[in-house]
Amino acid sequence: MTVSYPQGTSRRAALGALGLAGVGALTAGCGSPIAAGIAGTGPNATSLTYWNLFTGGDGINMVAMTDRFRAAHPSVHVDAVTLAWGTPYYTKLALAVIGDRPPDVAITHLSRLPTLAEGNLVEPLRADDLAAHGLTGDRFTAAAWRKGQVGGQQYAVPLDTHPFVMFYRTDVCKKAGLLDATGKLKPIEGTDGLVAALSACAKVTGGYGGVVNVNADPATCWRWFDTLYGQLGGQVLADNGTRIVLDDAKAEKALSFARELTVQRKLMPSNIDGSGVTQLFASGKVGLLFDGEWQIPTYQGAKTPFSVAPVPNLFGGTYHCFADSHALILPRNGRRDARRRDESLTLVRGLLDNSLVWAKGGHIPAFREVQDSAAFRKMQPQAQYVPAAKAAIYDPAGWYSGAGSDFENIMGFAVSAVEAGQLHPAAAIAQLRQKLADYASKPAPVGGTGS
Amino acid sequence: MTSTVAAPPAGALPGVKDEPRAAGAIGQTRAGWGLLTPFLVLYLAFLIGPAVYGLVMSFFDGSSVRSGLGPFAGLDNYTEALTSGDFWSSMWHTVLFTILTTPPLVIVALLLAMLTDRIRRGKWFFRLVFFAPYVMPVTCVGLVFTWMYVPQTGLFASWLSALGLPAPAWLADPNWAMIAVALMTVWWTIGFNFVLYLAGLQDIPRELYEASAVDGAGPGAQWWRITVPLLSRTTVLVTMLQIIASLKVFDQIYLLTAGGPNYSTRPVIEYIYDVGFTDFRTGYGAAASMLYFVVILAVSAVWFAISRRRA
Amino acid sequence: MATLTVPEAPTRRAPAKAPTDPRHRAFTVLCVVVLVILAALWLVPMLWAVDTSIRPESEITTSPATWWTSHPSLDAYRQVLSAGRMPVWYLNSFLVALLTAVFAVVVCSMAGFAVARVRFRGRRIVTGLVLAGLLIPPQTLIMPQFQEFAGLHLLNTYWALILPSVPTSVAVFVFASFFSGLPGELAESARIDGAGWFRVYSRIFLPLCKPAASAVFIFTFVWSWNNFLWPLLTMTSTEVMTIPVGLNVVQDSYGIRYAQVMASAVLGALPLFAVFLIFQRRIVEGIANTGIK
Repeated sequence: MTVSYPQGTSRRAALGALGLAGVGALTAGCGSPIAAGIAGTGPNATSLTYWNLFTGGDGINMVAMTDRFRAAHPSVHVDAVTLAWGTPYYTKLALAVIGDRPPDVAITHLSRLPTLAEGNLVEPLRADDLAAHGLTGDRFTAAAWRKGQVGGQQYAVPLDTHPFVMFYRTDVCKKAGLLDATGKLKPIEGTDGLVAALSACAKVTGGYGGVVNVNADPATCWRWFDTLYGQLGGQVLADNGTRIVLDDAKAEKALSFARELTVQRKLMPSNIDGSGVTQLFASGKVGLLFDGEWQIPTYQGAKTPFSVAPVPNLFGGTYHCFADSHALILPRNGRRDARRRDESLTLVRGLLDNSLVWAKGGHIPAFREVQDSAAFRKMQPQAQYVPAAKAAIYDPAGWYSGAGSDFENIMGFAVSAVEAGQLHPAAAIAQLRQKLADYASKPAPVGGTGS
Repeated sequence: MTSTVAAPPAGALPGVKDEPRAAGAIGQTRAGWGLLTPFLVLYLAFLIGPAVYGLVMSFFDGSSVRSGLGPFAGLDNYTEALTSGDFWSSMWHTVLFTILTTPPLVIVALLLAMLTDRIRRGKWFFRLVFFAPYVMPVTCVGLVFTWMYVPQTGLFASWLSALGLPAPAWLADPNWAMIAVALMTVWWTIGFNFVLYLAGLQDIPRELYEASAVDGAGPGAQWWRITVPLLSRTTVLVTMLQIIASLKVFDQIYLLTAGGPNYSTRPVIEYIYDVGFTDFRTGYGAAASMLYFVVILAVSAVWFAISRRRA
Repeated sequence: MATLTVPEAPTRRAPAKAPTDPRHRAFTVLCVVVLVILAALWLVPMLWAVDTSIRPESEITTSPATWWTSHPSLDAYRQVLSAGRMPVWYLNSFLVALLTAVFAVVVCSMAGFAVARVRFRGRRIVTGLVLAGLLIPPQTLIMPQFQEFAGLHLLNTYWALILPSVPTSVAVFVFASFFSGLPGELAESARIDGAGWFRVYSRIFLPLCKPAASAVFIFTFVWSWNNFLWPLLTMTSTEVMTIPVGLNVVQDSYGIRYAQVMASAVLGALPLFAVFLIFQRRIVEGIANTGIK
């Protein structure tokens, strides 16, 4: 029924016996959950636990991919668990590894990988194990594969690259005269160009011209800021997060522009949350939307007439937009034997093989076979922003940085307060500087002497 | 049940009845310790032990992803916490939550109890209605209120707009988020104080009312001159219990706002959770826990002193 | 201390005489009106949750804040119970709460008996030690306790939830004050008959302490069922999660479907409502007499 492991068996057995005595007949025949609860036995030998953080459109696609894998490998039982996105996910992942019951396979953001690896929370992947499943660097987007390494050691297999992009409603933009003859958005250049485009949309909608999430979503605020600030050539952290290299003038310029759009010009709402954003764009009350490409399914589902373009180059420097990657990891687990590792990698490979389904969610597949396939090239609007994946620059390294991290929260909350008109750019910079300094000055709790 | 301790310790233990000495002192000593063993083993292993270990941890720079205590840090963790703006602002949020919740949870509970006590039929129904939320798991309460607090289209927003009032973005607005959390807390936990007041009302002799009615006192005057003063003991109890319970807030805030927006609602327990588990800094988390423990201890000491004086 | 008196049958008073003063009558009417309004307000969240849970998802999307539904159905409940992990979480919550409550009653009643009725060397020290437990908020112990259970390899087992919740100082004092309220002759005669102390406890005192035992049992059960922070830290495997943790941690991959979310909220609260309805009097008396929170 269940497999018990030699380590600590006798104590568990003793406690198990005690517990069984206490519950009496109740436990009879109830099987493995109770055994797991009382005796701490591991999961079924042929069952793989797979953690991810996808809901909505991505969630549906991931369910489809997992189902396809199940159909192709009927002997492997995959128990897929969806957890809440963001900080709680990574906290949970760490707690699960420390708690001896990590999932067999888990999704991570590549921006989070260095901390996980230095915290000894993720298992290094041996090259020959990977090669046995056809997982070699030449078959992936180079930037993403490289980001899957920490200290030269491969820890993660990338699934995609997902940039921050600009959505546009074709109906609103057409009326605003922003489309060319083929129905594509005419290039928008510079901050003036964007202001003009937003104003044109605002005239059509009679309200706002565009929207970006402001409330209760620091990650989106950070992505918007990173896109603007990165285009000015700004950087936030250096030396593995121990030094703050924020350029106040550039940051203030980026923040002032974000604030100008919401507070001063009222071209974008200054008080709006995720569901409000969806409603505005889906109902045509705005023409432009700045968000992750993963929102594509939301608007396809809502039958919104829209397309997607890269965020315009607003400040004339080297092009930059926020991007991150989802990747698959094997969380560290002392109980994992060779067979289980092999099955886990089979699942990893199986998910990659189905990543055309994943691309429906807007993501650019990292697995080149899928990325270069005719089927993906035909996929619209995904094919519009593939170059953004190849040029991806990830969140700066640092133990408190990465997707859903303190770093993103600190940055995002400050940006949100500026967009909402609660803080002036200079005050926001002071706030985030001070909060970042708290982290930068501390010795990193990961890395160094591992356990 | 371990979550809040209510019982004031003073005089909690009545003297031991004089048992026959026949068995002898040694027998009694063996029996006493024997009966206490299961409790003491668990108590020392899982409460006192960790408390002592936590104190030790707070002097080291430990990490949850490294084994052992980590390098010795002396008082560094304490210095860092005491000079950290984040620590103090989270302390303030805990205090703010206490300030926002204690008065309504005491006054409204008193009002509800006096109203319920006044009616003759259907008391059970009101007791049920006001107390039932208290037994709901906090996650369920959080889910329901998150749904009601949805901006623009949620139930509360639709009520306010029906009245022609602008609806705030409840949980997303730093000016409103804590108030929204406090509102939910009042709804959820008032039943406990309400029941304590109902019990207090039972102890007020009816004759007092009858006598004052003969003297021509109106019902409002009776409430103000008889009920409220005679309930003062209960009020002290309820207030102190409420302050201590509110100072321990974590669940509601974690579920509704996760400490946001812009950290404006993060209470000290969530700060400890964040630094200790999300940032892996167990030593620092333990130090922050100790500082927080001192605050709780100080409030408990006040409670202790008050109940001593009144006893 | 009044707050720690023995749980006892409530003193039922004769209802107050009907006030003859018209001012009183008018005031009572006013009270009833205010009370009914407040009760209606208090019922809103619960009714709203139930109402949302029986509406079709499409209706909720188009008109979120409407009470009326043209197609009430229990589909959301069916989906939550069949597709979700709720049944396993129910089982976990139930077993953890039951085991915790049983152990707490046994362990704390023994300790309470010893403290109240046995005159043994070191009794004062023990009493002081147990009193100290009243002052330690468990929230301050999460860091060392987590390390301890990680070291014992007991995270993700019921024991991580049960063991720290069993030794409760309040429960010891509830039992102690109950036992010391019982007449001394009870123990005396048994001791003269040659019964050992454990027999005196288990055969004579334990059967008499039903009010205290049920108060401790019910409160430990409810508290354990509703406990959130500690299980959130220790139960990371979906197989062993309790209801409050599971509902918070595990998301629906299809996104938020409010009918199902509300259905699971209702289902999560239902067992405790049942407990409350059955034991209403005991719970209310338990609070009134002990101030356990």
